[in-house]
Amino acid sequence: MSAHILPTHTRPAGTPLARFFVALYERMGVLGLIAIAIVLVAVLGAVLAPVIAPYDPTVGSVTQRYSGMSAAHLFGTDQAGRDIFSRLLWGARSSLTGPLIVVGVTAVFGTLIALVSVWWGGLVDALLSRLLDLLFAFPNLLLAVLAIAVFGPSITTAALALSIAYIPYTARVIRSTALRERNLPYVQSPQLQGISGAVITVRHLLPNIAPLIVTGATINFGFAMIELAALSFLGLGVQPPAADWGLMVSNGQQSLLKGYPAESLLAGLCIVLTVASLGYIGEKLGGRAAAGRKA
Amino acid sequence: MLQIDDLSLTLAGKHADLSILRGVSLSVGAGEAVGLVGESGSGKSMTLRSILHMAPVNATIAGQILLDGEDVLGLRGEDLRRMRSRDVSMIAQNPHAVLNPVLPVERYLVEGMHDAQGLATRAARVRAGELLEQVGIDEVDRVLRSYPHQLSGGMLQRVVIAGAIAGKPRLMLADEPTTALDVTTQAEVMAILDDCRRELGMAMLFVTHDLDLAAAVCDRINVMKDGEIVETGVPEQLRDDPQHPYTRALMASRPAGITWTSTGGIK
Amino acid sequence: MFVIRRLLALAGVLVVSSFLVFGAMYAAPGSPENFLVQGRTVSPDVLAAIREQYSLDDPFLVRFWNWITNVLHGDFGQSLANRQDVGEMLANRLPTTLMLVSLAAVIIVVLGIGLGIIAGTRDGALDKIIVLGSNLGFAIPTFFAALILMSVFSVALGWFPVFGSGDGFLDRIWHLTLPAFALALPSTAVVARITRTAIREERDSEHSAMALARGVPGGLVLRRHVIRNSMLPVSTIVGVHIAGLIAGSFVVEYAFTLDGLGTLLVSAVQRKDFAIVQAIAIILVGAFGIINLLVDLLYASIDPRVRLGLSA
Repeated sequence: MSAHILPTHTRPAGTPLARFFVALYERMGVLGLIAIAIVLVAVLGAVLAPVIAPYDPTVGSVTQRYSGMSAAHLFGTDQAGRDIFSRLLWGARSSLTGPLIVVGVTAVFGTLIALVSVWWGGLVDALLSRLLDLLFAFPNLLLAVLAIAVFGPSITTAALALSIAYIPYTARVIRSTALRERNLPYVQSPQLQGISGAVITVRHLLPNIAPLIVTGATINFGFAMIELAALSFLGLGVQPPAADWGLMVSNGQQSLLKGYPAESLLAGLCIVLTVASLGYIGEKLGGRAAAGRKA
Repeated sequence: MLQIDDLSLTLAGKHADLSILRGVSLSVGAGEAVGLVGESGSGKSMTLRSILHMAPVNATIAGQILLDGEDVLGLRGEDLRRMRSRDVSMIAQNPHAVLNPVLPVERYLVEGMHDAQGLATRAARVRAGELLEQVGIDEVDRVLRSYPHQLSGGMLQRVVIAGAIAGKPRLMLADEPTTALDVTTQAEVMAILDDCRRELGMAMLFVTHDLDLAAAVCDRINVMKDGEIVETGVPEQLRDDPQHPYTRALMASRPAGITWTSTGGIK
Repeated sequence: MFVIRRLLALAGVLVVSSFLVFGAMYAAPGSPENFLVQGRTVSPDVLAAIREQYSLDDPFLVRFWNWITNVLHGDFGQSLANRQDVGEMLANRLPTTLMLVSLAAVIIVVLGIGLGIIAGTRDGALDKIIVLGSNLGFAIPTFFAALILMSVFSVALGWFPVFGSGDGFLDRIWHLTLPAFALALPSTAVVARITRTAIREERDSEHSAMALARGVPGGLVLRRHVIRNSMLPVSTIVGVHIAGLIAGSFVVEYAFTLDGLGTLLVSAVQRKDFAIVQAIAIILVGAFGIINLLVDLLYASIDPRVRLGLSA
């Protein structure tokens, strides 16, 4: 490149920590930093819920129904007199662990299926592809509802069923990338030297598709969060009286219509902010394509 | 006819501004073919595109471009459109990118003559066929009905040439018109381009990285490096007595064994 | 040829997924007759009679064969809970779901593509607002959107009914307007953004730039080259999202207590009424497959590269 560069900025100086934040800012932008902060707050809330939640999330007092915002109850109480702030903190736990299970299971099995079918190819690849096609034939939420019909409503069932529904997306995108990588010299040459397929896969292929897996998981986390919350909203996921954001939106529906919007509104807001933040971070990391989603 | 004076172009970047062109001056007389030769990234394409207002939006341009005394860079709206449709035409490097992939070839040609130049649709259709014959295409009807992906690069570049001569413009801008093509069709397409140009008496500004090719088809050649013109001269002079070390390097790097004749064929 | 091959593939998928769904219900823990007697103590004779009535003692494959042949004849069996004809129940519920999904599809197409084109062709505040709205919009769960719309437009403003699906065509549309907007919201946001990106890519394309450089009027280039070509990727996204509405409709129907297939499915799941669950699952998988097929055909018809590739 022979064009002349007229410098307008110089490298930032300062402590390593400051440089880290500057680099983070340059990569993510202001909105990206806000998004990261929101996710961190949600995670901290979930982790520290037992320590910082002022009340038991499942126990209310009849005399305290629909108390407005106050020093005692930061966000007021719900129709059963339970502290909404405490329920939001505890709700972060199931609302975050559910999607975590989904993206974890999806990443592991999606990657496994993709690598196996790329490495063995032929009949194995064809069979696995058919299997994934079959899973693609079911809308995600329908697959989850069917699993719940069989095994009964619970967040574990919902999360595992959703994982199965998500595996094809992850497997598809990783398969196509791995297929491309496999034919590159750096993978081909160790193979010619007689090193085993598994070793090559772990040592060479995996590090190169790892960023894709991470980005895909970030985006899928948001989808999973919404769909799990929807299942809880339908009464098929987290069961009352446990606290969960999706369940709280559903639980607060009657209160909302009676003029006490706090529970539904705040729980809904928690979902929206977390999902939007994760979506934005995922977008900055590499976009939806990595999640195997067309949209 | 075309007069470029002290043209400078800077691209605004996030961290630093890129200076692409610095004080470029050149001229093209009526009916004259002028070469602009340099490596990729030297700014030759950007010079060409500036004439048609095709520079990127983040570009700042200084200097002057005159077309028969008219200030080209100052043209706006309908005046700009008139210049683009009637006075100057362009042939770009990759014809597959130039034609809309979802429209048939006939629409491309008719669009240029009807929507840009104001010819009636029916007349434009008839003329499209004649133009294709003029650029040496035999199966005119099949080509007109084809979509770009069904035709070879060489065939498609002929279609683009047909479109570029349709309005009989005074000036043709050619930006590496044969570089993206199959080696076997390069000479053919170049010959057709050169023939059409001479027949219609059009002037040409010809951008290429191939000094030899430029020498074969151009009356005068400008050698460009890093956004500046380093040497100007007639082909013989550049070939036999290059002044600038960069020109000497370009001459030395040409492949041996192939020489272009003045009509563009391979000897 | 392509259509026939795809239809055959869809039929295959339907048979295999019927088998899986039926098998899963068969293997589900808890026996159906216990559910039927609902905890009452009944004599073994009665139990045997029930098992006889519902053919529960036949081997699995026989039961599957009977079920699928009946389904092919339009007989979905009887509800375990109230002995109603499942086919009839589905027929009663179908119009609401169909209309809800259709309305939402229209909103996605009109609003999603419309906003995307505005954002893609205009630079400045309007573009930024639409981008921000779309980033937030896709993160809003449909059930939450449903609640907000309901409390603002039904409860506070009283413009729309709170619950129910309405009778007659216009009344139904009136009842389903808010649910349709709630259902369409996330997809509209995504479609708007994808459209915007596609438009911007086409604006930067060489063929658009060259059309302008050839003196083709700007408005024409925008319509013929930029918008037209950007619809190629957009059409597949829109299709994916319309197909996705099928499952999304459960949630919105539930939030607005509409009498559609989704609410029927959810209550059937809660009551373990497998005859209904199986039937709805198969219908939805079929509808999902058909919409996806239609989208691929639409795509092929507007892109000559695909169209000519298929016929070759």
